[in-house]
Amino acid sequence: MIFSKNENFPLAQRRQLLEGAALGLGLALLPTAVRAQLASPTPLKPASAAEVQAIIDGFLQGAQPIEKGLELEMPVLGDNPAAVPVKAKVALPITPESYCEELIILAEGNPRPLACRFSFTPLAGTAEVAIRLRLIESQNIRALARMNDGRVLMTHRHITVTAGGCGM
Amino acid sequence: MSTPRIWISNDSPEVGEVVRVRALIEHRMETGLRPGTDGKVVPRNIVNEFEARLDGELLFTWQPETAVSRNPYIEFTFIASNASELQMKWGDDAGNIITGSKTLSVK
Repeated sequence: MIFSKNENFPLAQRRQLLEGAALGLGLALLPTAVRAQLASPTPLKPASAAEVQAIIDGFLQGAQPIEKGLELEMPVLGDNPAAVPVKAKVALPITPESYCEELIILAEGNPRPLACRFSFTPLAGTAEVAIRLRLIESQNIRALARMNDGRVLMTHRHITVTAGGCGM
Repeated sequence: MSTPRIWISNDSPEVGEVVRVRALIEHRMETGLRPGTDGKVVPRNIVNEFEARLDGELLFTWQPETAVSRNPYIEFTFIASNASELQMKWGDDAGNIITGSKTLSVK
């Protein structure tokens, strides 16, 4: 009989071996992201809505945001979440008397939602910048721009991404 | 850090013309959020400062955070006014600084 060899193999030990093998297989099948989180002391989590709001409030400094004059150009679907092209442009005429002082871009679903900050001088004569972002999940991208007279322009766009780009 | 790659739409623009610049450097942009092979968090090292100047006069500054991609790319525009040198400077968390420039002649 084929299995006759196993008869003198203690049953308890066989069971342990089987369980060990099953556990090992299970770990190997865990998605990479989960294993990365197991190893990481601070798992990557999207920022809370309160954190995002705190950044927005900090930029607004009490001003009422105007929902026009600022444009965001970006894809609706980010096929490469490690480099999503985002362009922010102040569509108002820029003159030495009326120019954009400061502009921030927020990736609202990222662990660190503030993506970057720009400070312009009137010398540029324009306020148009394009960058590439890495995004951990589908989320809203928001841009806020402060003009030198204190007006704050705000806009946002939603983007769907296929996989997280933060660990890349 | 590497030598930057810089593209400029027109290096002899007319006065008042919008000049577009695209610049890219190679940089790992380590977020400080990621464990390395030894299980410890890899310390953050990102490009945290960029500035563009025309003959020393500041055009704008950019402060990237961790959400900016590896090999950071920046595109911007400005209005050409006189013959000048466009100067760009990148600085990272480790204190490395690299610079790049383009000479502009105005028609």
